[in-house]
Amino acid sequence: MMLLVVFGVVTVTFFVLRFASGDPARLLEPPGTPESTLQIVRQRLGTDKPILEQYVTYLAGLTQADLGTAFRGGGSVLPSLLRALPNTLALGVVTMIVASIGGLLLGVAAALRPNTLLDRAVLLLATVGQSTPNFWLGVILVLVFSIQLRLLPAIDLRGPESFVLPVATLALTLSPLIVRSVRQVFVEALGEDFVRAARARGISEQRVLFVHVLKVAAIPLVTLIGLETGFVLGGAYVVESIFNWPGIGSLTLQSIQGRDFPMIQGAVLVTATIIVLVNFVVDIVYAVLDPRIRY
Amino acid sequence: MDQGEVLPVLIRKLDEGTITRRQFMKAASLLGVAGAASAFLAACGVSTTPAPTVGPGASPSPVGSTPTAGAAEPTGSVRFLVAETFWADWHPYQTSAQIAYRIEQNIFDRLVEAETDDPAQVSPGLATSWNRLDDRTWEFKLREGVKFHEGQEFTAEDVKASIELASGATPVKTALAGYMVPTTAEVVDKLTVRVKSSAPFSPLLGLLAWYGVSILAKADIDAGEEKIKKAPNGTGPFRLAKDEKDRKTMEAFTDHWRGAPKIKELIWEFIQDPQTRLSALLAGQATVIDRVPPEHLLLLGGSPDISLVSKTGMENVNLFMNPNPEAPWVDKNFRKAVAWSFDRDALVKDLILGSSQVATAFIPGLARFHVEGDPHYTQDISKAKEYLAQSKYPDGGPEFELWAATGFQPRAKEVVEVIADGLRKVGMKPKVVLSDVAALIDKIFIHEGQPYRMFHLSWSSNGDPDTAERFLYKTPGVWSDRDTKVDDLIDKGAATTDDQERAKLYRELQQYQWDQVLHVPLYQPDFTIAHSKRLTGLRVQPTFATYFYSASLAS
Repeated sequence: MMLLVVFGVVTVTFFVLRFASGDPARLLEPPGTPESTLQIVRQRLGTDKPILEQYVTYLAGLTQADLGTAFRGGGSVLPSLLRALPNTLALGVVTMIVASIGGLLLGVAAALRPNTLLDRAVLLLATVGQSTPNFWLGVILVLVFSIQLRLLPAIDLRGPESFVLPVATLALTLSPLIVRSVRQVFVEALGEDFVRAARARGISEQRVLFVHVLKVAAIPLVTLIGLETGFVLGGAYVVESIFNWPGIGSLTLQSIQGRDFPMIQGAVLVTATIIVLVNFVVDIVYAVLDPRIRY
Repeated sequence: MDQGEVLPVLIRKLDEGTITRRQFMKAASLLGVAGAASAFLAACGVSTTPAPTVGPGASPSPVGSTPTAGAAEPTGSVRFLVAETFWADWHPYQTSAQIAYRIEQNIFDRLVEAETDDPAQVSPGLATSWNRLDDRTWEFKLREGVKFHEGQEFTAEDVKASIELASGATPVKTALAGYMVPTTAEVVDKLTVRVKSSAPFSPLLGLLAWYGVSILAKADIDAGEEKIKKAPNGTGPFRLAKDEKDRKTMEAFTDHWRGAPKIKELIWEFIQDPQTRLSALLAGQATVIDRVPPEHLLLLGGSPDISLVSKTGMENVNLFMNPNPEAPWVDKNFRKAVAWSFDRDALVKDLILGSSQVATAFIPGLARFHVEGDPHYTQDISKAKEYLAQSKYPDGGPEFELWAATGFQPRAKEVVEVIADGLRKVGMKPKVVLSDVAALIDKIFIHEGQPYRMFHLSWSSNGDPDTAERFLYKTPGVWSDRDTKVDDLIDKGAATTDDQERAKLYRELQQYQWDQVLHVPLYQPDFTIAHSKRLTGLRVQPTFATYFYSASLAS
């Protein structure tokens, strides 16, 4: 099934690119280049062949881990992707950790005091975070922390301090959903008999919350985190552009402008594979968390 | 006897004591200040990098060309964030991309240089002097002691190979050849070359400087295109140190004939988002950024740490009409109705801002022989409707697309929306289509079976009107209307050697084009560079060329 999904994504990407406007040969050659010269370039790129033939050639390459040769620069696509991938993964993983921990703590805090000022404040914060576009938030954070306060770098990946603003940008727009879900699950669970029983047995409140209740809340949370992986990778396209982050997102956006088909296809393939793998891991975690689940 | 021969004689006489230093300076100064000073120093035994001597028709040597050998070691690193993605390779004759031209200006040298904003002026570069021998032939005396980055000595053979390749005199087709006529060269001696065009071609000298015909090493040309494409080997003040897809790192070429540049490391990096470029500059992570959009100009104008350099571009942004023989704008009255339907002045004043100016001719202002067209097209709906009524399409004609690319020319979307609004008021049926640059470029060249299309699009030019005209409007140019009168005037303008006669021809051409209004010239765009005040001496030209040789970075 996983392979089928990746295959579907790869196929759709391949054909959408071919049918979209923008002849890569024209973008590689100066304006006014004669059609005969353009045709030579197309032959070199392989875009002169029928689309189905190009597709079969591409699939044949994939079976041998050959993602093709970049139209611009002529290098193999794979090394470029492998250089960019760790940066995107690092950004994504740190964002997920920060968003999950932050979302969990705020959600639990709100659930413990439902309908109080704290609960309202957390929900308001979540609403604001959810409705804030990350391209705007990123710019504001840069204006405050990089330009005004000079505390953090505005762009580039230079070291641990470079993670702060991109991660904050992504996490602040990502965590509201986690906050809401955690709050909802905890509010419901805290009213269950097993919680009353646990408290009656004298188990500490912390243990009740983070062992007993969390176990119940874990499955919807894991589902949510799995789903949000796609959001993180999608959001990274925007955030990487704002922060000049050398990841898959930046690479893809630049490749789209130059209609560098192999590079775009490679980037989409990698992104799709990551999302599928994360969902696979989520499925396995389900089974671990709840032995009743079998595949 | 030209200056190249006079100076050695004067120096010899000074050495022999047959003339005094005062007499020497007086005589030499007649040849030009830089040449005199250099020769005097040489005569006094002071070692300098060979200085430019000035040839007939050349301007006095400006500061930028003064040798600075013996200056302090290059220091500092400059990070320049640019808005245009880099070209796919390094072949300087196979692209007309502005970014390629701009970066090459720092890596290569040219025979003659454009060092002021006056397109009539060229300065010595790799050539120290030049003479026009007849209407097709120029003789250039070349600079001695110049080296390529890879160590080869620069000679007349390099000039011959470069000019012949660039101009299309060899079987290799080049993009640059579209702006020139095939030109061969004869090596007279190691440092003298005679360049002969296949037809009288007056723009040659200006083209060498203003279009920037980079001089390559003959050995590289002999090695084939792949060698040239792979890495640049010029004689310019910076050499490529690291080549990444979106980042080009250059280092000071300390053996440059003018002396080492003051900046040690120069990084050009593509960052498309203007906000990201701005953030980097304000946070101190970039030294220079280009294409500052109008909305950022106000913000940066008051910054104590940032300087702005604004130029009016020597190019027109036009409302091009696709030369489709079926399109309604084949009818001249329809075109006139288009021209009178929107307010170009308001576009400049309220949207584009900066140093942008309303276009007044098909040859951009600042270029040589530019003449303002009459009338001044602006919004006059009743006049536009009159023209439309006289056309074959009094009902406004069929629907057509009005394309603009977002992300490059500032506020392109807003500009085309204003234009579309004017066209609708007249009764036409435009449909605004926004795309990225790639999709728009694709559509320019496809006519058959396609919708009728207009494009909001800029096209670079340079100091000589021939460049603005030949490639675009002379048959079979990209926007050519197969108009024999236009073709004839373009050819005559290029072939005529007398400047007054050229001015007359280009006046006629411009007035004719303005009346025909084949498309509507909109404005000459603003080109603003913002840089840290630590950086001084940066030189920016209306062609958007950005020279770092004369720049230095305070610690």
